[in-house]
Amino acid sequence: MLLQRTLSKSNKTDLYLDLVELASGLLLVGFLWTHMLFVATILISQETFNGLSEFLDKYYLSYIGIPFIIVVALFHFVIAGRRIPTRIQEQRIVWRHAKMLRHTDTWTWVFQAITGMAILVLASIHVWMVVTGWPIRDFTSAQRMESFWWFYLILLIVGEYHAGFGLYRQFVKWGWFPRKPIGYITKVITAIILVLGLAAMFVFVQLGGAL
Amino acid sequence: MADRELTFEIFRYNPQKPEVKPYLQTYKLKETTGMTIFVALNQIREEQDPSLMFDFVCRAAICGSCAMVINGRPRLACKTLTKTLPARIKLFPLPVFKLIGDLSVDTGTWFRHMSLKTEAWVHTSKTFDPKAQEERMDNETALKIYEAERCIECGCCIAGCATANIRDEFLGAAGINRVARFMLDPRDERTPAEYFEVVGSEEGAFGCMGLMACDDNCPMELPLQMQLAFVRRKMASIGIGYKPGKGIKLA
Amino acid sequence: MSTYKTLITDVLVVGAGLAGERVAVEAASHGLDVIILSLVPPRRSHSTAAQGGMQASLGNCAMGEGDNPDVHFADTVKGSDWGCDQDVARLFVETAPLAVREMAIWGVPWNRVVAGKRTLPDGRVIEEKKEKEGLITARDFGGTAKWRTCYTADGTGHTLQYTMDSMVIKMGITVHDRTEAISLIHDGEQCTGVVARCLRTGDLRVYIAKSTVICTGGYGRLYSASTNAVINEGSGMFIALNTGVVPLGNMEAVQFHPTGMVPVWILITEGARGDGGYLLDKNLYRFMPDYEPKKKELASRDVVSRRMIQHMRKGYGVDSPYGPHLWLDIRHLGAKHINTNLREIANIARNFAGIDPVKDLIPVRPTQHYSMGGVRTNIDGAAYGLKGLFAAGEAACWDLHGFNRLGGNSLAETITAGRIIGKKVAEYTLGATLSYNYELVDKAVKEQENRIKALVNGWNGKENVYELRKLMEQNLMDYVGIFRNGKDLQKAVDNLRELYHRSLKIGLRSNGEGANPELAQALRLPGMIKLALCISYGALMRTESRGSHAREDYPKRDDANWLKRTLAYWPEGADLPELKYEPVKITELPPGDRGYGESSAESQGGKNG
Repeated sequence: MLLQRTLSKSNKTDLYLDLVELASGLLLVGFLWTHMLFVATILISQETFNGLSEFLDKYYLSYIGIPFIIVVALFHFVIAGRRIPTRIQEQRIVWRHAKMLRHTDTWTWVFQAITGMAILVLASIHVWMVVTGWPIRDFTSAQRMESFWWFYLILLIVGEYHAGFGLYRQFVKWGWFPRKPIGYITKVITAIILVLGLAAMFVFVQLGGAL
Repeated sequence: MADRELTFEIFRYNPQKPEVKPYLQTYKLKETTGMTIFVALNQIREEQDPSLMFDFVCRAAICGSCAMVINGRPRLACKTLTKTLPARIKLFPLPVFKLIGDLSVDTGTWFRHMSLKTEAWVHTSKTFDPKAQEERMDNETALKIYEAERCIECGCCIAGCATANIRDEFLGAAGINRVARFMLDPRDERTPAEYFEVVGSEEGAFGCMGLMACDDNCPMELPLQMQLAFVRRKMASIGIGYKPGKGIKLA
Repeated sequence: MSTYKTLITDVLVVGAGLAGERVAVEAASHGLDVIILSLVPPRRSHSTAAQGGMQASLGNCAMGEGDNPDVHFADTVKGSDWGCDQDVARLFVETAPLAVREMAIWGVPWNRVVAGKRTLPDGRVIEEKKEKEGLITARDFGGTAKWRTCYTADGTGHTLQYTMDSMVIKMGITVHDRTEAISLIHDGEQCTGVVARCLRTGDLRVYIAKSTVICTGGYGRLYSASTNAVINEGSGMFIALNTGVVPLGNMEAVQFHPTGMVPVWILITEGARGDGGYLLDKNLYRFMPDYEPKKKELASRDVVSRRMIQHMRKGYGVDSPYGPHLWLDIRHLGAKHINTNLREIANIARNFAGIDPVKDLIPVRPTQHYSMGGVRTNIDGAAYGLKGLFAAGEAACWDLHGFNRLGGNSLAETITAGRIIGKKVAEYTLGATLSYNYELVDKAVKEQENRIKALVNGWNGKENVYELRKLMEQNLMDYVGIFRNGKDLQKAVDNLRELYHRSLKIGLRSNGEGANPELAQALRLPGMIKLALCISYGALMRTESRGSHAREDYPKRDDANWLKRTLAYWPEGADLPELKYEPVKITELPPGDRGYGESSAESQGGKNG
């Protein structure tokens, strides 16, 4: 037995980190999917979209929600990011390993790490654009979409990918449900959200020209 | 199917001769019916290259000696039929384990170390009484223990695990499954807190990132995902409800 | 002056299978310092391959009711065809139940009695009693009067070995795996340890010990079709034989398992027949009831094997590129039973032959399986000829099995003998002092060094080790198989003798550096051929049929002349073993009819096949 280990027995840090990763991840998935559903209200009508946005503003939900989500996302980034190898040699090992193994779930994890990094950058830009262009109304969104549709396309795919497989992985790790069906369900939900997002984008881009 | 000529590309390296860098050596072999990698490698050794190192013991997928990376996947060479593979077959030793030479790796030392770290034996205060009848056990319990004990320590799960590839101390699926085996065993008198000490950390249950290469590559088809999740949930519930004593300050 | 590492210990155990580890645990629990040497990590030992179970007369299950050591004793002695030592058999049957219960405390998840009625595959309805629920249960195995084989599903050897090794680890016993003992150090009276070769680096090492215990298992791999693991090359036996003073007992007693799967020779356990599997011929006819109306497929192994060969010789075998074979049929047991209770069998058939036993027949034929013979010891496990040398398990001829071992008695022997002999080893060692002659040790190492140099440099010749090995395997398979006769045996002896001389002229084709596998094989082969000669010469000289030793030219058991045990010595410089004989100890059960088989009862002899 080593001194430092004897004295730090029953260290629960690793457990807490794991739980925070789980909780923050679940919150973020919940947020993202709700967010996309809200965005998709544009598919119903511009009034619905604006109405929802005004409603959120009126009760200060946006002003509480956005900073809260930013804090959660940062937490999630730091904590989930502890899994990502920091040393170049380790990264090379993982990369070679994934290439050798040709194993789906290993590759999805590698992309998960990459998309996580990408989301940090892209989502920051997105938040900055939204906040500087406040409030959120059909015409502000439409403008952004029209000018930066490629940016949003990337963010949408990257975000949904990360959320979908992140959720799948948590279910796998905690084993609440068998692996195969849960993989199927998360894929279906992700596909639905993606379709909604793409449709909303399409509408916004159309609107951007019209407004 | 028959009449194929197989091309084996085999990793060659002898750690005792580091001046010769690792290289791939090619061997050609005529495929026969029912040929396994076991049959093929022995034929290569006996007819082409008697210096080629690899390990087989039972050649029946019982002992776990012959795991190697076959066309990218960790598998048991003895139960890999060549007819299931393309004509080019690439063989590498398992990663993570210490290389002995060519395809031979030291899984034994790794697993003994793991057993020591997880104290993988029944912790009991009872001593054997030659005159007494055995203690009763529910047959279902016995079967459950056996299900976890079926691991043959081949190392495929460890070799396939990205975490184990970069974190030396990670117990991997084999290690966590081993702990599950003792947690299921009513004869083991360890307390929840004691189990938490063993696997309630990044080295154990919380180190798993859920990549499931273990589950997908286990030649014994052990329910590793469920065992890992079982231990993780158990550790979480123990950890949340458990208060460690006050620590001693070092300075 | 050569440099080599020397290690000193109280007890040196060669071989880390179940017997070896059990001896080690016993010795260590007496406070002795123990080192175990093993070719492979302990959990890779061939003991793990024993799927079926181990015999112990607990009598807990319904079909085992009324079982006791006396019944087990009678089964064992009959099984051995009165070739076993009855004192040993008595000690063994009395201790086996303890050994099983002890393993339960240490962690083996034995299958337990589940109360209630159930129907056996043959239609009989049995009822397990409520008061027995949760106790260790047993299954049926060939050649026994009661259901006595304790088991853990289909991995009894596996769980026993893992549990035993967990004790070894718990007790902190040193294990040097990937280490091969290549010669014994002795002065003709006392054994003081071994010279070993490290299979990681190729370095030689010396182990000095007050007592040395050989637990290296059998020699199955001398035969080309063997169910044994590839490490079972009889190394412990020939290093003992090489001393010239330690004899091997009953080497001609070789057991064939009725059901090795064609063509990989992987064992399909007795469990398949115990649970109700049938043997079918090429017409899909169940032929065993014709030969053995009472026991049918469950007569003892030697009998079933012989009946199968007999039936195939009559032309009822199924032709295949690998020679004729028969079918094992377990389809009628149902998918559920096959996939749970017989899962290992199902997996073997699927993985190694691409056959689904739920739907398909399994091709089987008798395959070399077990070596009854080995280093001859007394009832304490002490080898004849050298003080400080012991042997246990399949490597030994303790003489529990005589001329045929009962299914389930091998696993039982490992832990039971390990327990008994371990204690005797400890007692001996506690009373011994360590004294050894340095020159003797140095000479022993030099001898091995010179052998290695000669092999690497091809000083003695350029014979190909793998070629010679194939010839040896073939000779045993063709001429020293299930049915034997004087003409063939003589041929085998002549051929093997020539091979032995050739084996002294082996030269490596590779450079022999480090842990070179060709060198390892070349170091073993002359010893292996010596064992092959002990087997065939012993078989040639034994002009009777007994247990697994079936002579077509002498089809009857001959108690008047052959109620004795063969002891094979190998004098220095000889090219044939010197055979001596000792009487078999009969204490309780005089020779009689086994109630099955042909050699002791009036029935169709082997000759008409």
